[in-house]
Amino acid sequence: MTRNTRILMSVIYWAFVVYLFVPLVLMVTMGFKDSKFIGFPIRGWTLDWYSEIFRSDEVLGAFGYTMAIALSTTLLSLVIGTWIAAFLGPHKFRGKLIVFALACMPAVIPGIISAISLRIYIQFLQLDTGMAAIILGHTIHNVPFVALVVMARLATLPQSHIEAARDLGADQFVAFSRVTLPYLKPALIGAGVFCMLLSFDDFVRSFFLGSYQPTLPVLIFAKLRSGMSPEINAISTVVLVITAILGIWAERSMRRMNKGTSV
Amino acid sequence: MSNDAQTIVHIDNMTKRFGNVAAVDHLDLKIRAGEFVTFLGPSGCGKTTTLRVLGGFEMPTEGRVILDGADVTRLPPNRRNVNMVFQDYALFPHMTVGQNIAFGLELKGKTKADIDDRTGELLDFLQLGGFRDRTPDQLSGGQRQRVALARALAPDPKLLLLDEPLGALDAKLRGQVQVELKDIQKRTGKTFVFVTHDQEEALTMSDRIIVMNRGKVEQDGTPEDLYFRPQSRFVAEFIGDTNLIGGTVRGMENGSVLIDWNGIDVRGAAHGHRPADGSEVTASLRLENVLCHPQKPSDKNAIEGRIVNRLFKGSRTSVDIRVGGEGALLKAYLDPEDAGRIQDDRLWVSWDALHLSVLQA
Amino acid sequence: MFAMTQTDTQRAGGRDAVPRSMRRSFWGAVMTNGAYGSVTGFLFKSQRRQFLLLASLPIFWILFANIGPILQMVRISFLDSYPPTAGYQPQLTLRNWNNFFAERIFIVPYFRTLAYSVVFTVATLIITYPVAYFLAKHVKRSSQLLFLLLLLIPFWVGEIVRTYAIMILLGNNGAVNLILKSLGLIERPIPFMYTSFSLGVGIVYLTALYMLLPLYSALEKIPNTYLEAAADLGAGAWTRFRRVTLPLSKEGIASGCTLVFLISTGYYAAPVLLGGPSTTVFAETIAGFFHVAGDQWPTGAAFSTIMLISALVIAGLFLKLMGRSGKGLMQ
Repeated sequence: MTRNTRILMSVIYWAFVVYLFVPLVLMVTMGFKDSKFIGFPIRGWTLDWYSEIFRSDEVLGAFGYTMAIALSTTLLSLVIGTWIAAFLGPHKFRGKLIVFALACMPAVIPGIISAISLRIYIQFLQLDTGMAAIILGHTIHNVPFVALVVMARLATLPQSHIEAARDLGADQFVAFSRVTLPYLKPALIGAGVFCMLLSFDDFVRSFFLGSYQPTLPVLIFAKLRSGMSPEINAISTVVLVITAILGIWAERSMRRMNKGTSV
Repeated sequence: MSNDAQTIVHIDNMTKRFGNVAAVDHLDLKIRAGEFVTFLGPSGCGKTTTLRVLGGFEMPTEGRVILDGADVTRLPPNRRNVNMVFQDYALFPHMTVGQNIAFGLELKGKTKADIDDRTGELLDFLQLGGFRDRTPDQLSGGQRQRVALARALAPDPKLLLLDEPLGALDAKLRGQVQVELKDIQKRTGKTFVFVTHDQEEALTMSDRIIVMNRGKVEQDGTPEDLYFRPQSRFVAEFIGDTNLIGGTVRGMENGSVLIDWNGIDVRGAAHGHRPADGSEVTASLRLENVLCHPQKPSDKNAIEGRIVNRLFKGSRTSVDIRVGGEGALLKAYLDPEDAGRIQDDRLWVSWDALHLSVLQA
Repeated sequence: MFAMTQTDTQRAGGRDAVPRSMRRSFWGAVMTNGAYGSVTGFLFKSQRRQFLLLASLPIFWILFANIGPILQMVRISFLDSYPPTAGYQPQLTLRNWNNFFAERIFIVPYFRTLAYSVVFTVATLIITYPVAYFLAKHVKRSSQLLFLLLLLIPFWVGEIVRTYAIMILLGNNGAVNLILKSLGLIERPIPFMYTSFSLGVGIVYLTALYMLLPLYSALEKIPNTYLEAAADLGAGAWTRFRRVTLPLSKEGIASGCTLVFLISTGYYAAPVLLGGPSTTVFAETIAGFFHVAGDQWPTGAAFSTIMLISALVIAGLFLKLMGRSGKGLMQ
């Protein structure tokens, strides 16, 4: 590469970073603006919007609701995803590729179709819209991610570790609990945080499967439809901070896992 | 047969197939209590499969495994009193050395006091005293190997299986560990079943070596048997360097077999069999058993030859010697002393007839 | 020394007033527990049984959670009424499918969605390729992680928040208009919002990561020696890119484009918030059937099925095309 293209490339990279960050920075900034009107110019600053949302039952309720859904979803997704990984990882059988593709399917189905099919499905299951339905929908969507992460980790577990445990008197269950699970720990933490993130951020499934109580993204959406306001910026900023923390945490545990030495 | 007091394991006509390939083909042998037995052979010969069948990691396709009088053929690894030292040691990375060693004891339902005592005992025995609370990644290769050994010994197995446990060590350490391992086996009095493709390792440590090839036993005997009295071409070639001499049996003379080797009469020994006169045979003669003489010796059987190639190897020189007529080549080692005294590459070679071993196949 | 006595173990049998050191560990107690033994003895009896046990939940989940909803959706699309009303037995019909071809207001959003998705995918590819290339080839390996992390952070923020951020950016009083105005380039704000432009900016913003990551990992795998060898043989920068880098990053391009295409067909909130009446996408059409009275569900289901099949077929054809031409270039 010539010097010029190299410089051009780095300019493009930094322009892209600006493109990614500027909208978010603007959004955060507007949350501190002392005016109901979103946009420039900014004449004064305030923390009122934050104190307002932290006193709002609507926002706090949505936050608790979203968190409860995210935690339940994560727990379920981890159990089911790990089970699928334990099944698909080490076993060879005919049609494995098809089973694998079907297991990953929910991750690639376009969002609106996933939401609509689930809306129809909970009707079929005679499950009301609301928390249980959202948890089911999120779990279905998240399981493939857990399965993929855990499978990748499982593939690096030497078969001899399991055999050594069996050799020393462990049955399949004990060997799994005492050797496989500790080995999977970093993957489980990473996948778990990622699940939290997916569930916490999800809009389309929460929107179609939810009842009167909105999740945070659904609440923001509803408020947006009646116009922008700094209050939305404040809520969005809180969501942003939470997701950024979760994201960095997930990233860190995944990196550690990939670096992690196995003896 | 299997209740023979001496026999700890009887592999009874065992076959293991993977698909259509027989990894082990009708193997039948007994291992005596307290023996250090080595399965030796090239990769894919069935030695590891045999070990895994003993450990319970593979179910034989046919035949049985009798362990101390009980049929364990279908028992999973956790329900047979056999432990294994794995090739990569398979130490649990999330547990300390002490926890690794205690693992098997814990699962047997031993009390905490028992486990502590036993673990301490093994740590001392294997000179791992200060390493109890370390994790495996803080240990050297040799230490890991000893922890793996301690962990496998802890539940007091009837049989200790070792799957090429020295492969991961560097050459220098390997020699030292071979001596240690043999010593540990002697002191514990345990039956060790060792698998390796390294003939030197097998010769150094074993009481008995079983050479395998293509799922079958080629030869079963002491290291000396295998080295000096190989019964097959495979064994002769696999273990050490050797001269393979093809010729026609002319008859017996003073207990030796007389063979016509490209027009030269050579004397050899047939161990445990008697080749028919006139039959074509192959015989093995170790390089170090070929005696080289700078001057014509008094031994009337000595043959004159000429060095056609020399390879300097430090303490000795490896030479190719052409003897007699066309195509009769012999490899031998030359001491530095003799090497200096040989003139014009002419020398005489001789050997003890017992060392020229007539092969059965 | 190497034989153990059984008496110690037996002593630990009694439960009460046993000193700590005489107790078994948790797992020791589990393994020696009779009930546990009989349960596992039953469950792990044969290899076949173990396999079935392990397969049970995954197979159930795939059938129940992954295939079930899609099958139900397809089934509903052939019914004349759903959700079921008391006393009426739904009849099979093709009416819902015919609706699609009957009305322009359905077909136009459908093709618009596919066209948008293709255009946005290509735009995402063009924008992210140099970024991924820069990351993989020009950034030191030790700092690649940091540079990548910088790009990842905005993507953890959810769809709604990021869409809102774009609304602020492009609004009439947004940052872009402010800058343009202060530079004296415009007098009145340009109405970016509620157009296909704002929708495009938003979708690219939402999907860029799904393109960037596959591209990055494909580019990162290309050894620098290949490019040096090409340069050594006299290939210029453009030739090296066209003949070496591009063909070798094909896999990344294929999977990135497939992902972005599939995902962008499925966005609902972004088109609602960023688009206008002239940019209605099929997701909005479909959603419409679920907001109004119940008997529209079957039509919504039929349309969803059409969308799903179209998206998968296009993605499949694209992958196949990439695979074939990839082979052709190799020869």
